[in-house]
Amino acid sequence: MQTVRITVNGTLFEEAVPPRMLLVDFLRDRLALTGTHVGCTHEGVCGACTIHLDGEAVKSCMLLAVQADGHAVTTVEGLSQHGELSVLQRSFREHHGLQCGYCTPGILMNMSDFLARHPNPSDEEIRHGLIGNLCRCTGYVHIVKAVREAAKTLATGAV
Amino acid sequence: MDITVQDSKRWMGARLERKEDLRLVSGQGKYLADLVLPGMLHAVFVRSEYAHARITGIDASAARALPGVVDVITGEEIRAHVKSMRQPVLLPNLPAKYPDYHALAVDKVKFHGDPVAVVIARDKYLAEDAAELVVVDYEELPVVVDAEQALAPGATKVHDAEADNEMFAMSFTGGATPEEQAQNGSEVQRIFDTAEIVVSNRFRVHRTGITPMEPRGVLCDWSLADGLTAWITTQRPHIDRLALIDILDIPGERVRVIAPRDQGGGFGVKAPFYRENVVIAYAARKLGRPVRWIESRYEGLMNVGQERDQINDLEVAATRDGKLLALRNRGIANNGTGQTGVYWGFVMPFLGQVELPNAYTWEKGDIKLRVATTNKACLTPSRAFGHFPTRFALERSIDMVARRCGLEPAEVRRRNMVPKLPYTTITGEYYDSGDFLKVWDNLMRQVDLPAFRREQAAARAQGRYLGIGFSCGVELSGVASELLVPMENQPGYGAATVRVDPRGKVLIFGGDAPGGQGHETTVAQVVASIFGIDPADTLVTTGDTGSTPFGAGTIGARAGSYFVSAVHKACAELKEKITHVLAHDLGVRATAEEFAFSNGEVIYLRDPSRRKTFREIVERIIMFPVNLPEGEVGGLESTAFFEAAKPMICFNADFCIVEVKPATGEFTIKRWATSEDVGNVINQNIVDGQMHGAIVQGLSNAIFEEFIYTDEGQQLTADFEHYKMATAADVPDIELSYASTPCPHTPLGTRGIGEGRPSSVPGALCNAICDALSPFGIEITELPLRPSALWTKIRDARATQR
Repeated sequence: MQTVRITVNGTLFEEAVPPRMLLVDFLRDRLALTGTHVGCTHEGVCGACTIHLDGEAVKSCMLLAVQADGHAVTTVEGLSQHGELSVLQRSFREHHGLQCGYCTPGILMNMSDFLARHPNPSDEEIRHGLIGNLCRCTGYVHIVKAVREAAKTLATGAV
Repeated sequence: MDITVQDSKRWMGARLERKEDLRLVSGQGKYLADLVLPGMLHAVFVRSEYAHARITGIDASAARALPGVVDVITGEEIRAHVKSMRQPVLLPNLPAKYPDYHALAVDKVKFHGDPVAVVIARDKYLAEDAAELVVVDYEELPVVVDAEQALAPGATKVHDAEADNEMFAMSFTGGATPEEQAQNGSEVQRIFDTAEIVVSNRFRVHRTGITPMEPRGVLCDWSLADGLTAWITTQRPHIDRLALIDILDIPGERVRVIAPRDQGGGFGVKAPFYRENVVIAYAARKLGRPVRWIESRYEGLMNVGQERDQINDLEVAATRDGKLLALRNRGIANNGTGQTGVYWGFVMPFLGQVELPNAYTWEKGDIKLRVATTNKACLTPSRAFGHFPTRFALERSIDMVARRCGLEPAEVRRRNMVPKLPYTTITGEYYDSGDFLKVWDNLMRQVDLPAFRREQAAARAQGRYLGIGFSCGVELSGVASELLVPMENQPGYGAATVRVDPRGKVLIFGGDAPGGQGHETTVAQVVASIFGIDPADTLVTTGDTGSTPFGAGTIGARAGSYFVSAVHKACAELKEKITHVLAHDLGVRATAEEFAFSNGEVIYLRDPSRRKTFREIVERIIMFPVNLPEGEVGGLESTAFFEAAKPMICFNADFCIVEVKPATGEFTIKRWATSEDVGNVINQNIVDGQMHGAIVQGLSNAIFEEFIYTDEGQQLTADFEHYKMATAADVPDIELSYASTPCPHTPLGTRGIGEGRPSSVPGALCNAICDALSPFGIEITELPLRPSALWTKIRDARATQR
């Protein structure tokens, strides 16, 4: 066991974990933050487990919990502020950017980071930004639209 | 606005935000892997590393010795305590040889991934460790993975108790007796003998399917008092419950199955009844503890989501002016072990042959199928159930006919389309309603074909290869009992309970179990339009056999056809009662039609000043059931079952435009456009999303995804690095258009949509590529469509042309 101090969605957690525990299991099993999903055998292809580590989108199935020691993690549960959905979350609802919702948290985490870096993306840039996330239901059409429309809304200064 | 229609106009067809999405975008969804019970144990399966081998011994002592390991269960224990998987509830009504099997392998393993044992431990990491310590001794056996080799005399047998590997064989045309079929065969032969044009090809479609993003899972809890509660990722909780009752021999009142409200996609993959359900239920009962198994992606890709895998030797006879005359097909399906209940793998290729004739008229056909068992995983259903390969074969053949005739493929399609419905095909499939030509003509308005031909010619002059390809698809809109009973021994009716709440809310309970299709929203819009309330004032519960009426499950596009129709029927009964009591209270003699349900009120149309809020009148009937009309009692709840007299269909037509680079065989899809008949639409966003998803699934299957087995039966593609699914950057935007005809056989004119939809994709795509490469005379007859294979064809064609 190794003690880690990880700030998750603004709250500091000090926990003793086995060194081999994956960060995604720490979030899901220890902290009950089950919005972060697992869709592949920890090979980092499906992207359903994407979170932010110190603000950057990373795949939490490819990290050990001990690697997040001393860092700040944001999960999909932390995207909403004061009970209000973010612009991106609202846009996914409005434009039907999800069906089963299993890949959605990972896509939201990846795309919120992406939009911070690419405030005015083309559809092609959005599609390339989504390469790390597999979606089986939507054919990506409405996801691209939701991200594009969120970018427009964010450009007006909305949060 | 007319108050009688105002609310139905407001909610029917609206792009309403889905009720599901608030929880799903905020990480509050509750999928199976999110469910935890106190004291829950974790299960990990030990699976075969060989495709075919005798089990000579299992040593679990090292695994058992690991602290935290609670039990290791093997096939021998399962065989001793649990019935086999071949129980009547899981047997189709088709004359196949059903190879018996147990929930865990006994005596021998038959495919790479066959479950041999299960480890139960207090921690999932520990269970993984222990699973690696289970030593299984195997004696390797000869392996057969090729369907034709499996069917050859003297082939290695997959199932020792069977005479050979031919699990199922059937003629789909010509009548019931061999004599009638032989007669039909010679009549078809005569057409081919005299036909001006015959195209004959062997079409091969690889093993692929629709892998959902959420893997499978089972959580079972056992109590002496209540028996078994099983949470299963499933499209058919009511069928699963019956299977658990029969296989584990538990009295029916003591088994409850719950499909979680949130499921990460199904697409048919969660429709069968799987062996893991039995093993986990057995373990929970034995240990008296909750046990959970969450499938790893590796296990999933080894075991499920594998479909297609057919050879179709298809011949089409036609006249020189493009009139289709007859088709003859000899299908061969590679079923793997054929051991997965409900479908047993072969029901998909069976339906694939039924659906072969598509939207065209044929004088005659001669269609036969053979299904082989092999040492691969059993086929499991995947969206476009069975007919992804047959439709590819037929739509490619239509283009070859057109090329031989010197006609536009689009024109050949239109000339041969069934002009008027209803219509019964040469395989006996009934097409109830719609207008194929209207859909087709709408498609052709999305493209200026002569202008494209000019652009194509100009591009070719510059060494660029553009092409356009067409296809169309008749798809099932739900599956009527008339088809589902003979096919699967299961009912097709839709089922819904509608319970009005004294606070003016409406609770709906359905026997299906969705996985992302948006039932909560679609049904809310229907109920809101009927009762004149807001969709927010409804709650839809699905998947729990403890609270929902018996239903066949979420299969075959049943939501827009059967489920909402059952909901409508139940609501109509309640409306009758509400207006009956209200007329009595108002002291008027009036029928239900003389009241409008609008904007939260029930209004007497002959005197609109006389009205009550919906809540007032329903609360009065539920809570204050005194002074009622004679013969009426209180309470507002109704269960209704909807069955269509005949199977129903929906229809679509597609085209795409591609550019191919002959130097590399790479291609780009420049446009994908469609025309759809979906009947009346309840939620336009949801319908659009179904089409987008289905088309991209078709593209991903046709271009990227492939389950690869070596000759030794080793599966090489059990992770997403090797089983490549389309990403957003791999696929085009999609242009949808609609030319719908309301379905006359559902109360709302709606059709069930989306299930078969991927099947039109490989035909249109390959037709476009062959059109682009027509200077080389290239015809694609095999999938997947790899640039490397295209490049080889182009190289060979160039060599011949020189």
